[in-house]
Amino acid sequence: MNLDPRRTVFVILSFEGPDVYSQAGGLGVRVKGLARSLARAGYLTYLYFCGDPDLPGEEEQEGGRLRYRRWCQWISAMHRGGVYDGEEGKIRDWNSSLPPSLIENVIAPAISAGNHVVVLGEEWHTSWSMKLISDALYYRGLRDRVVMLWNANNTYGFNRIDWTGLNFASTVTTVSRYMKFRMWEWGQNPIVIPNGISRESIVEADPQVVEDLRSSAGADHFWFKIGRFDPDKRWLMAVSAAAQLKRRGNTVKLVMRGGKEPHGAEVMNHAQHQGLVVRNAPGPPDASGMAALLRDSKQADLINLTSFLKDSLVMNVYAACDAVLANSGHEPFGLVGLEVMAAGGIAVTGSTGEDYAEGYRNAVVLETDDPIEIVTELSVLKEKPRLVAGLRKRGRATARDYVWEKVIEQLLLRIDFAAARQAVTGPEEPQPRAAARRASRATPPRG
Amino acid sequence: MYTVVHQPRRLKLPARLIPAGTPAHRLAGYLFDDELDRHYFDKVAEYSYLPATAAFRELARRGWRMSIGFSNSFLLQAERWSKKVLDGFKRLCASPNVEVVCVEPYHSWLFYVDIVAFKEAMLSARKRLEDLFQKSVVFTDTTEMFMSNDVYFALQQCGFAGAFMEGRDWQLGWRDPTHVYRHPMQDLALLPRHHQLSDDVGYRFSNQAWSMWPLTPEVYADWVRECWGDVVTLGWDFETFGEHHRRDSGIFEFMRALNTQLRRRKVRMLLPSEAIAELGDSGHEAPVSEYGTTWAGEGGMEFFLGNQAQQGVFRLMHHAYSKARLTGDPALMDLAKWLLQSDNLHLIQWFGRSGSEAEVSAYFTPSEWWELGDLGIIREQQQVYLNFIRALDDLAK
Repeated sequence: MNLDPRRTVFVILSFEGPDVYSQAGGLGVRVKGLARSLARAGYLTYLYFCGDPDLPGEEEQEGGRLRYRRWCQWISAMHRGGVYDGEEGKIRDWNSSLPPSLIENVIAPAISAGNHVVVLGEEWHTSWSMKLISDALYYRGLRDRVVMLWNANNTYGFNRIDWTGLNFASTVTTVSRYMKFRMWEWGQNPIVIPNGISRESIVEADPQVVEDLRSSAGADHFWFKIGRFDPDKRWLMAVSAAAQLKRRGNTVKLVMRGGKEPHGAEVMNHAQHQGLVVRNAPGPPDASGMAALLRDSKQADLINLTSFLKDSLVMNVYAACDAVLANSGHEPFGLVGLEVMAAGGIAVTGSTGEDYAEGYRNAVVLETDDPIEIVTELSVLKEKPRLVAGLRKRGRATARDYVWEKVIEQLLLRIDFAAARQAVTGPEEPQPRAAARRASRATPPRG
Repeated sequence: MYTVVHQPRRLKLPARLIPAGTPAHRLAGYLFDDELDRHYFDKVAEYSYLPATAAFRELARRGWRMSIGFSNSFLLQAERWSKKVLDGFKRLCASPNVEVVCVEPYHSWLFYVDIVAFKEAMLSARKRLEDLFQKSVVFTDTTEMFMSNDVYFALQQCGFAGAFMEGRDWQLGWRDPTHVYRHPMQDLALLPRHHQLSDDVGYRFSNQAWSMWPLTPEVYADWVRECWGDVVTLGWDFETFGEHHRRDSGIFEFMRALNTQLRRRKVRMLLPSEAIAELGDSGHEAPVSEYGTTWAGEGGMEFFLGNQAQQGVFRLMHHAYSKARLTGDPALMDLAKWLLQSDNLHLIQWFGRSGSEAEVSAYFTPSEWWELGDLGIIREQQQVYLNFIRALDDLAK
């Protein structure tokens, strides 16, 4: 199957998307990066997502090659708490209104114009719509012209998925071998296509900024942890490890950025009970603000940032700190670890979906949920600066292997397989023009 | 709101031996029990048809809108035994707020054995209803709200604008039953019955063990109002009003108050043809199951074909119809169609079963039959078919 960018249209269906309103976890980051990278590779790409109700319903990016379609906005206007606020209503609206609109406005015209169409659904919310789109295409005689893939980024909502119908309608994929094994529990054997990161996230932080942050932290151990306040992320383990180091007489500066989840209160409570001094502060706007905050927080062991951090600042902190604790106990892929590597930081990952992480080669990979493991590993690294330098260097090299452009190459190859399974036939290839025949000189003139 | 009016043409049990040489026009007397039918007709007329038509006439004057389907089985009995009942329905249907819906006239499984004959029966039923009620009939039901892919296309070929179907989760999937649907790329509109809200009234209204008993019009109107989607289709036996739920259950007061409560909540009532005209362009699609759905039991054909006795009768229905076709005699074909009546399977669903569905089935089984015993009913019912098939030996030569 020739997925020439000039003759292929991608459609991504995802509840999460690029808007701040639409981001709740890694999925929003994933579809934003994937959609943008496909468009930059020349593919006309549509991204349907539950968008910010105050932004336009339709928007074009990347010179018109990336087209946002914000869905369920009328529901979002009544549920302003984010993409999953009003979730059930959004699912119903999505299922009833999106498939016919998508087919009539995007898929059918694309096929008539002789293009391939690839539909990528994300997460359980879109599982019904994949079947509906497949059914509707079948009845229009178009099913054999569209490749459909559905991707699981997490195990959420698996109990609500009609797996038989979904498998009939699409080829099921996931983001790591860990997820593949978890899906075996559901009788599924998905194809693994990893997540990616944007090329822009591979940055060389300004050494002066890094040095400024490190010196401002002024601690034996300067750690950072970012993510939702979810027990799966093992926040308590990170806090306990910091507390143990403090009890051993080390100075620790653990900077944290969580979410609004209730587990956050539990984490702060745990920190105080462990003897850590906690300071809550709004997220600084830039690196100098962060340095100032660190200097101003000498007494604090744990700085809890309570508001949004810009990507550029996060990248600087990744590079500056001794370790970024991405120590989750259940991580379908673990995008943070990869982003840390891209920024030249030291990623401390768990050992579930982080296929990219190799212990002592490009990251510190934790095997247990025992805080002593963090304490031991990071204390050892303090004594081995060459190993640390090697980890940072090889981490960055690993990140380069996971930029979206490379992941998309894998995706395109997998689409061939999915197309074969779904008996999808491409549009007729343009026929090469036949060479004009010349009359042989030997042919005698007629008449 | 849709109600269907139907009375079965009951078999005569125990079966009567049909003497050799019995002419076609006398066969019906050996097969069907007019006396029993009359008994039940009079009973239901007193409890339901007369008071309910009066109540609905009054409601229709106050803006209540509903649709009514009539089986020919019922109409023939009403014409024979109670002009008063028939007049009551005619007066009700004369209201512009009442729409007449076509129903498969024999209330039979004719579509299973002969889809072309089914089409002819539906066309003749529509004409009969239009002649009788002097109204155009564009919306249809079938038998037991059966709908399958082939039946859908047959109804579409007949020129109906819309049809009812059962709206179960297993048929609709993620879809809500509260939209107007079409089979993909087709014209015939479908109104799926909201089975939960329908059964709250149809089955559970007088069940004192139900956690929501007694159901109040305020609560029920709230449930309707809170439904997601465009339109809530409620479907019941007409006999629900006064017969399944007796007058002292409060069912008539409930319906009267429901009219008011729905208005208070700004719920508009639409006739089926109005619903599809107003809401039918929304592009909602629902592929119709090739296996078929019905409003009985769990919504599949298991309710009618779930036990061996039902399957035995179903086979005999086919054989009786085929044998009649071999005679080429229209009168015998007509008798065979009556023998295809769905009630003959409905009434023996209880065989080898227990639970609420079996209770419903047993409720409809004539109490006069029970003296034959369970096995006796099954045996004698099949014997009626055997007698009919054998009686055609000379005629099918």
